[in-house]
Amino acid sequence: MTATLGSRLAGAKMSLIDRLLYGRDVDREAKGRARLGLAIVAFACIYAVIAGRLIHLASTADSQGARKSGGDIVATARPDILDRNGEVLATDVRMPALFGEPRRLIDVDEAVELLTATLPDLNANETRERLSSKKGFVWLKREITKDQQQQIHRLGLPGIGFLAENKRVYPNTSAVSHVIGHVNIDNQGIAGIEKWLDKNGLADLHSLGFATDRQQQPVQLSVDLRVQHAMRSELLAARQKYKAKAAAGLITDVRTGEIISMVSVPDYDPNDPKEALDKERINRLTTGVYEMGSTFKALTIAMALDSGKVTLGSSFDARNALRYGKFQINDFHAQRRILTVPEIFTYSSNIGTARMALAMGVEHHRAFLRKMGQLDRLRTEIPESAEPLVPKRWGELNTVTIAFGHGLSVAPLQAVMGISALMNGGKLIPPTFLKRTEGQANALAKQVVKPETSDRMRYLMRLNAEKGSATRADVAGYYVGGKTGTSEKVVNGRYSKTKLLNSFTAVLPADKPRFLILIMLDEPQPLPETKGYATSGWNAAPVAGLVIGRVAPLLGIEPRFDLPTADKQILAATASTR
Amino acid sequence: MTVRILHLFVIVGLVLAAAYVYDIKFESTLQVERVAKLRSEIRRERDAVAALRAEWSKLDSPARVQSLAQRHLQLKTLDARQIDNLANLPERPKPPLLADESDPIGALITLPDDSEALTGSAGRKTAP
Repeated sequence: MTATLGSRLAGAKMSLIDRLLYGRDVDREAKGRARLGLAIVAFACIYAVIAGRLIHLASTADSQGARKSGGDIVATARPDILDRNGEVLATDVRMPALFGEPRRLIDVDEAVELLTATLPDLNANETRERLSSKKGFVWLKREITKDQQQQIHRLGLPGIGFLAENKRVYPNTSAVSHVIGHVNIDNQGIAGIEKWLDKNGLADLHSLGFATDRQQQPVQLSVDLRVQHAMRSELLAARQKYKAKAAAGLITDVRTGEIISMVSVPDYDPNDPKEALDKERINRLTTGVYEMGSTFKALTIAMALDSGKVTLGSSFDARNALRYGKFQINDFHAQRRILTVPEIFTYSSNIGTARMALAMGVEHHRAFLRKMGQLDRLRTEIPESAEPLVPKRWGELNTVTIAFGHGLSVAPLQAVMGISALMNGGKLIPPTFLKRTEGQANALAKQVVKPETSDRMRYLMRLNAEKGSATRADVAGYYVGGKTGTSEKVVNGRYSKTKLLNSFTAVLPADKPRFLILIMLDEPQPLPETKGYATSGWNAAPVAGLVIGRVAPLLGIEPRFDLPTADKQILAATASTR
Repeated sequence: MTVRILHLFVIVGLVLAAAYVYDIKFESTLQVERVAKLRSEIRRERDAVAALRAEWSKLDSPARVQSLAQRHLQLKTLDARQIDNLANLPERPKPPLLADESDPIGALITLPDDSEALTGSAGRKTAP
């Protein structure tokens, strides 16, 4: 009875709602309001459920979210660095790192005891201190081995865990240290190309939390690992043989400005960056500035030839020392006669080049050197660079000394850029450590001297290897041209006669220039086999010869024998085309 | 009445659709799990590849190869005269004659048809 009543009542209620919503006889307005009400109630229910769920999630987030990052990478991933042939120079390897969560730890003493038993180099007191803190997370040890991870895992300690970290590895150790630089423990680049990577967007990616996976495009350098190694091993041998303080070498492609090899020994192992702090281990080619000595004569003579006022047939008086105030400029290989331009170059006459620069004028000299990029700081991809030391007041005396490479200190890389421009047809191309095509280089190039001047300079360089100071660098088959440079180092404000900085610049091959090689020796000592001499022709030049003999086949230069002398092969050949 | 039947159809349709959507959802959850598993597997593989590549380039580094070569081999530094062009290579010598080919030089030599050819050790046969 009650059931039928109830059902009837429900039926009546149902029919009421039903009628309100759908009935034909109900007022349209009332029907509309009822429908709206129903909709409001429905949506309110849905939103209440969502809000309740949100509150629930927020209050229990701790227990669910905290361990979520476990196994994720902390230190950020970096792109691989490859050499120009795709050999790996730097790569990331995953390494487990040990951490602790003091709040979850049950027995600190037990944990410390077990951990120090497994990792003997772990400092017990420090670990105890860290684990007793109230922090949620502490690092215990980074870069542990897989075996150690297994052992610690088996200890079954609560609140001790592992995170996989990316560790930067340099498989070729010291061979490319000054080029690629190194990273700190957080995988941030702090020197060389590594720092350049960070500056070019990688750091931003890291700070936003991207770049954790190994999905980045590798960076390809212009450096050739094998050439780099050959250069380094020859320089190490040379440094030992001549008991030099340091040795450095550079090879650049004159057509593109790419740096194929850059070595400065002593160097360091980027896997152990502490060594990089040693002042003796700086990169002398970019970070140091030096008076380049006779190497600079090439620039002076090129300036004179390019002006058109001086030709290869011109001659300059080198009979007597050049007096300038209280200074007296002498020649090392004094000839005491009037010298022609090629003779000035091959005898490396200070007097001749000084007179030549004076004839051009102080202003012209300075403007020319500025145009050749010798007076401004040279910036490349790697952050290490040094400002050249330019005299504040540039008088005639400065021009006289700078003409033969004293009184102006430049970074050797800078000098190489200038001399490359004299070799490659007169195009000044900023050097780069990244791969570059000839077309890209030409877009950046600035014509600084006439192509004819470049031909004549190459003739002089080759002539110097045939019968000048560079004969010891003339490797048969490669038609080498070169210029020696010996500069006295300043010790206590005076030029020292015994502390020398020797350099040798070689162009390879001189008739069709492709590579420029610079070898530098810091304070080489005279040996019995060098007849007691310590000038560049006796040490830097033969080292350059050894380097050329080793790297030319790697650089793909075909040896040619029985070529005619420089005047026929370079001068006559280019005169007919121009 | 027709409206009721229509409603019934719609409700049944709705339930079926919901079931179908649930099925798709379930399937997609499975797929997502599989994708995540594969991703982590790929990452592990990639890390292993990177570690092996690092190992390889360490073993292949010119410094190591040079020190090994100096210790175990008698090699000298390459000289420019040891390099030559393929064009300067002399012509390959003519291959030896095949069995069925006639020998033009051999044809010129006619052996004396001496039936009692003696070996050198027997000495020259003296005329009777």
